[in-house]
Amino acid sequence: MLISWELLKNFIDIEPLNLTPEELAERLTFSGSEVESITYTAGKMKGVVAAKINALEAHPKDAKYSIAHLDTGTGIHVCITSAKNMKKGDTVFYAGEGSILPDGTQLGTRDFHGVMSYGMMLSAEELGLHDVDDPSGLLILPNDARPGDKAESLYHVGDVILDVSITPNRGDLLSLLGMAREIKGLYPKSTLKTPEWLRPLKQDKEWSEEFGKISLPDKGCYAYRLGLATGAKISDSPLTAKIDLAHLGMRPINNAVDVTNYVMLMLGQPLHAFDLNTLPAREITVRAAHEGEHMMTLDGKDRALTERDMLITSGGEAIALAGVMGGEQTGINDDTNTIVIESASFSPVRVGHTSRRLGINSEAAFRFSRTVDPALSKSALMAATTLIRDWCGAVVDYKPLSSENDIHEPKPVTLTRKKLSVYLSWDNMNEAAKILDGFGISQVKDNGDSRVFMPPSSRPDITIEEDLIEEIGRFRGYNETEERLPGEMPKRADIGDSMRLAGFVRNTLIPRGYTEVLTYSFLPEDFPEKLRLNPDDIRAKPLTISNPISRDQMSMRTTLLPGLLSGLKVSITSGWREPVRIFEQGRVFLRDAEQSHTEPEHVAGLIFNGLDTRSPSGNRNEDFYSIKADVESLITARGYRVDFVSGHENFMHAGQTADIFADGVKIGYAGRLKPAIEQELDVSGVYVFEIDVTGLTESRKPAFTPASSFPASFRDISLLVADTKSNDDVMKDIRQCVKDSGSDITLESLRLFDIYAGKGIPDGFRSLAYSLSYRSHAKTLTVDEVESLHNGVRESLKAKGYVVR
Amino acid sequence: MTEENITVNAVRDSFRESLAGASTLQELDEIRVKFTGKKGSLTQLLRSLGKLPPELRKSTGQEVNTLRDEIEHELDHAGRKIRDAENEKQEISQRIDVTLPAHGRTSGAFHPVLQTMHEIADIMQGLGYSVASGPEIEEDYYNFECLNVPPWHPARDMQDTFYFADGTLLRTHTSPVQIRSMLKYGAPLRIVCPGKVYRRDNDTTHSPMFNQMEGLLVDKNVSFSVMKGTMSEMLNAFFGKSLRYRFRASYFPFTEPSMELDIECVECSGHDEHCRVCHGTGWLEVVGMGMVHPNVIRAGKIDPDEYNGFAFGIGLDRMAMLKYGIGDLRLLFDGNVSYFMSGFGGAEKC
Repeated sequence: MLISWELLKNFIDIEPLNLTPEELAERLTFSGSEVESITYTAGKMKGVVAAKINALEAHPKDAKYSIAHLDTGTGIHVCITSAKNMKKGDTVFYAGEGSILPDGTQLGTRDFHGVMSYGMMLSAEELGLHDVDDPSGLLILPNDARPGDKAESLYHVGDVILDVSITPNRGDLLSLLGMAREIKGLYPKSTLKTPEWLRPLKQDKEWSEEFGKISLPDKGCYAYRLGLATGAKISDSPLTAKIDLAHLGMRPINNAVDVTNYVMLMLGQPLHAFDLNTLPAREITVRAAHEGEHMMTLDGKDRALTERDMLITSGGEAIALAGVMGGEQTGINDDTNTIVIESASFSPVRVGHTSRRLGINSEAAFRFSRTVDPALSKSALMAATTLIRDWCGAVVDYKPLSSENDIHEPKPVTLTRKKLSVYLSWDNMNEAAKILDGFGISQVKDNGDSRVFMPPSSRPDITIEEDLIEEIGRFRGYNETEERLPGEMPKRADIGDSMRLAGFVRNTLIPRGYTEVLTYSFLPEDFPEKLRLNPDDIRAKPLTISNPISRDQMSMRTTLLPGLLSGLKVSITSGWREPVRIFEQGRVFLRDAEQSHTEPEHVAGLIFNGLDTRSPSGNRNEDFYSIKADVESLITARGYRVDFVSGHENFMHAGQTADIFADGVKIGYAGRLKPAIEQELDVSGVYVFEIDVTGLTESRKPAFTPASSFPASFRDISLLVADTKSNDDVMKDIRQCVKDSGSDITLESLRLFDIYAGKGIPDGFRSLAYSLSYRSHAKTLTVDEVESLHNGVRESLKAKGYVVR
Repeated sequence: MTEENITVNAVRDSFRESLAGASTLQELDEIRVKFTGKKGSLTQLLRSLGKLPPELRKSTGQEVNTLRDEIEHELDHAGRKIRDAENEKQEISQRIDVTLPAHGRTSGAFHPVLQTMHEIADIMQGLGYSVASGPEIEEDYYNFECLNVPPWHPARDMQDTFYFADGTLLRTHTSPVQIRSMLKYGAPLRIVCPGKVYRRDNDTTHSPMFNQMEGLLVDKNVSFSVMKGTMSEMLNAFFGKSLRYRFRASYFPFTEPSMELDIECVECSGHDEHCRVCHGTGWLEVVGMGMVHPNVIRAGKIDPDEYNGFAFGIGLDRMAMLKYGIGDLRLLFDGNVSYFMSGFGGAEKC
């Protein structure tokens, strides 16, 4: 919302406050209406004055140009222009030699084919006033401009515009009047003023034109009023008004339309002007739209309507979407002379629904959905007709036509000393009443510690005690309030299992060389395809956003892998040649038949040796077993048993992928990325893992076993094993053989220490060598006992088909 | 002084003299034999004990034993010295360049936003807050409706929202967890909820996904003063210093009164007109907050006549950017390891 300092002076006497725009901005910002910028419209302008064209002649050598002799009150200046719209006797803005334009341009002299021009005469555009006048011609000033007057002091050329961010609860601040009232509240010593055009006007004549009824069958229209202006001449608005509109961000159109915009900006009441003769019938009905009804709005779009929308119709024809946007055919044109001004009051809920559903954020809809003071519909109509009289030369003393439904009346609100004191740690009730009174909220009943206040109709946001407290709080400011902590600590504050798990994961992986990353939860639409996921894989059916910003951020991730791969890509693109180790933990989003969707917590990691793997200490490439160590660290430290079983994922290497099991439950995959996908990323040797950590949320307490006080005995065994058999299979067999021996000696540890294939080993086989540690918790084992057991184990392994070497 | 004492002292003196002259392990062995061997001086001394008067036997015997301990200890010590000196020559020949790169992996790096999240959650736990959570794909009811934002409400314009076909949405703030927690735990209550939130915004200062931490305290007679004290504790603990801060009145549909908290620019403290972090204002907006609106308390099935409270939403990305001097929000979400490692000397600084 743009606020003009000059126009503000029409509504409030701020001069005695000795206030600068900057000081006002600070006060507004702290009290809830953040001032985002302050603009001095004259900018760097210096030395630009009004000047009268005393003489005008054609350039002797080039007819394109005219030579003007300008009277600035202090002398005559010669100036050349290519503009055509001026004549002798006109007053214009003149920027003489050495003067500066608003954009900082300094003017000098220029030779036009032998004639010197000193400075220039200005168009509106050159004054920084866009849309105020034809940019190709000079801005011709009204007759009251005196030569020598500074431009910034004329017609509001030099104004100060505050851009204020108005919160959605304060529809009342979307006008100069509302801002003036707010300032009055913030500065109790100021006084409100009423501009001339807002004074009561005698309007008692019957309409000169025939007009039927205004019917309001839809209660969402609180009030609907029409004012009549006859004999209007459509032309430009007064220069000051045009400049005001431009400064406040509206394009001047013509005097009749400008009046409606001007009054809306000043008072906050949206108005609509139409040509009476273009109305389909001499009657107005405001009704709910029919489900499926269509209407063509002013912007040329065909709108499908519902019963929640309100239509303004005439003779059964829709002429406007009430409170939102007009129709195409009833506008003011240059030949209009009978103008009807509409001033209405609509339900914010209804307008809000329509404007949100159709995505129309017109000035009217913006205001109505934030609530427009219903009391304004009368006074704004009177003000608008007054200005139509002044700007369009129309006759306006006709009695307005009105129809009303129930108008929302403000309800009293009670303020208690107790609540005020609890909330703000301050309880001066008399002072509080004064503050509220400044905002127009008057005390209607005084019961001492409990007082009743009546908000004005312009403040529908004040409905409960807390609202009153906020008015007091924002007036006083919050910075001086005392600080303290709650008296009593509630017990059992708990960071919670999932936060602890998240902390555990990062505390495990970061020291293991991983960098923690955070990537977007949405992925490109085609990610399942890039991952080669089967169409029936749940991960291939992501939830998709209906209104995405782009197709690249459209599908909710079902796996963390694409985020890590794009992190790898970005890292490499940015010139990183060293190893990449990254991990992410976060939610994935899966469709679920029963609950529409689930959000399991995943952890995924990626390691890549880097583009430059040269090292003084030789090749230290990482592989499947490095990432396996990381996954094991994560899972075993939570107290779960981890198993890796040869597995398959479409996006993983067909021979180097494992399913990960925690206590026998599959929780994810680990291994090398599919080489074809590596190639697409232009890298080789990417290892990844991804696990669903939901099942690891509970951290198991470790069960400790004291070391035996009796010595262990170590024996090695070397087996010839077919390649189809895994290390895990062999270890299982060895353990089983020890168990089957019936001995009470325990196999305390079993460790693979050598793998050999090649010379001396048949094709399709490898030799695996294990170290076994036998121990008893009851006695020191004799060599015979150990030998006997170990030989037994060797024999049973042979019996299972192993070749023991 | 007795004759025997003189003898013990004489043996000691003689030992010291020999030891001082020894420089090889072999010489030390010879000394050991000479004094403690079967025919050594100490053995002879012990043998002579019998000749002493009975009252002296015990004390002299003790003195001899003490001397034996002394001699053995000093021989061991001298032996270690000689051996160490010999080894050291060899060690020096095995000298390595300790400035060569470390083997294996060195530590990775934390993500500043997640670090911030964990730090603040820890601080808040110290103030009695538990961590609560809620879904990121949320129902309109929890995200808007019960937070006093019905479908027609213009406050919806404040938060441009991503929707799914079934009407669910990506939560635009962590505030829905307020309601979910009140329904689950009742009053009194202190919770924080860190997490991702989403808005349909994408430019240099807005990311479609960002991180927030919601805080909620519900109790009897809760004052703005307590919210102020809580904010001050949290900020000081997080930034590790006492920063200036200020409150501005503001508006959120689910709090009344509402305010925003600005903290002193951590980059320039308001001294740099062209500061890239605060753009010269000297202040940074980091927390939105207010006293919980009675309608919201009611939606949480708690009686607003009995309980009230305050709620706040901290911008975690903002806090992280401030603490770690990060200028561009978008750097946080692209997974670029070179960026995150750069803060830890991971990349060679030339």
